[in-house]
Amino acid sequence: MSAPITGRSLGLLVCLECRSTVRGGTAAQPRCPRCFARLHARKPHSLATTALLLLGAAVLYVPANVLPVMYTNTLFDKEKDTIMSGVLVLLHSGSWPIALLVFIASIVVPLLKIVVLSVVVYSAWRRSPRRRQQRTELYRLVEFIGRWSMLDVYAISLLVTLVQIQSLASIEVGWGAAAFGAVVALTLLATRSFDERLLWDPAP
Amino acid sequence: MPSVIVCPACDLAHRRTAEPAQGRSRCVRCRALLQRPENASIDTAIALAVCALVLLLLSNAYPLVALHANGSTREATLIGAAGGLYSQGFKALAGFVLLTTVVAPLAQVATLLYLLIPLRLRRHARGEGLLFRLLTRARPWTFVEVFMLGALVAIVRLSAFARVVPGVALWSCALLMLSLSALTSHTAPGQFWRWVERSRQ
Repeated sequence: MSAPITGRSLGLLVCLECRSTVRGGTAAQPRCPRCFARLHARKPHSLATTALLLLGAAVLYVPANVLPVMYTNTLFDKEKDTIMSGVLVLLHSGSWPIALLVFIASIVVPLLKIVVLSVVVYSAWRRSPRRRQQRTELYRLVEFIGRWSMLDVYAISLLVTLVQIQSLASIEVGWGAAAFGAVVALTLLATRSFDERLLWDPAP
Repeated sequence: MPSVIVCPACDLAHRRTAEPAQGRSRCVRCRALLQRPENASIDTAIALAVCALVLLLLSNAYPLVALHANGSTREATLIGAAGGLYSQGFKALAGFVLLTTVVAPLAQVATLLYLLIPLRLRRHARGEGLLFRLLTRARPWTFVEVFMLGALVAIVRLSAFARVVPGVALWSCALLMLSLSALTSHTAPGQFWRWVERSRQ
C-alpha cells in the first residue's frame, strides 16, 4: 500500500483556528491569510508539554482524593468530607442517581483523562501504527467529557456560601478542593496542547 | 480557494468537492468533521447573542438558591459562589470558578456582539482577527452547563437538612446554557470568516 497523501507531503498547512488549508510557502512564521493566526505544521513541543501537564495532574490527583474537600462544623462536632465520602453521603441519603453522577464526574472522569492521555501520548511518541482510530476516538471522548469533572468543585462553592448559619452550622473548604480544581485545569490544558495529527504521522 | 482540504485532525489530504450545502463532510480516515454548512444567518447569531447577554445579566443579578434554616435565610449568587471560596482564602480556586462561570461566558457574548453588529452593517470592528481568535481560545473555558449540574448536586445535599428554594438565576442559567450552545454552533470560525469575506465583496 502506498503512503497516504497528507498535508505534510503536499507542503500544505491547516489553520487550526479557522480550518482553512493554506500553501506552506517559505515564510519563517507563516500566518493564515484569512484569520492571521500563526500556522504550525504541528503544535510546537506538543508531546513534551502534554506529558508535563499530565504529570502535574497525576501528582495532584492523589491529594485531590485523599485530602478533605470540605469540613462541616455543627454545634456538636466537626466532620470532614473527601470526594468519596461525599459520594457515600449522597448514596445513603437515598439519591443514588446523583451519587452515581458525582462518582463518575469526580472520580472516574479525571482518572480516565489521565490514563487515556498517557496512552495517547505514549503511542504518538512511539509512532505506533496500531489502533490509531481507536486512540483518536478515545482522545475525542476525553476532550468531550473533560470539563464535567468540575462538578463537585461548583457544588462545594455553593455549599460553602450557603451554609453559614451563625454558630449552628458552617462549611469550610478543604485543600482537597483546591487540588481537585488544579487537576481539572491541568488536564484541560494537557488535552488542548496535544496535537491529534501526531497519532497519524508515519514513522520516519 | 485551494482545491485540496487537509484534515485538521489527521493531516490526510482530500480533494475538495462541491460545497456541501446541508450535509457535512467527514475525513475518510479519522472521521473528523471537515466541512459543515456555512449558511447560518448573521441576524440569528446576533439575536442569540442578545438573548444570551440578557440571560447572563439575569443569572448574575438574582440569587441561584436560597437556604431557609432556623428562621434565617441565606442566598447564593453566581459571583457569590466564587466569593465564598475567596473569603476562605482559596483565591486561585475562586478565580478559576469565576473565570469559567462568569468571565468566560460574558467575554464570549460581549466580543461576539462587538464583532457581529458592525459586520451586519458591512463594517469592520477594530481588532477583528485578534478578538475572534481570542474568542475561539476562551470558548472551551465556559462551564455553565457543568455549573448547573453542580448546583443541582448542592441542592440535593442540602435539601436533606434545610429548606432550599431555587431562585430566578437557576432558571435563567438553565436557559443560558441552551442559548450559549446554540450561539457557539451558529458562530463557528468557518462561518464567521465566511461572513467577513462576504462583507468585503
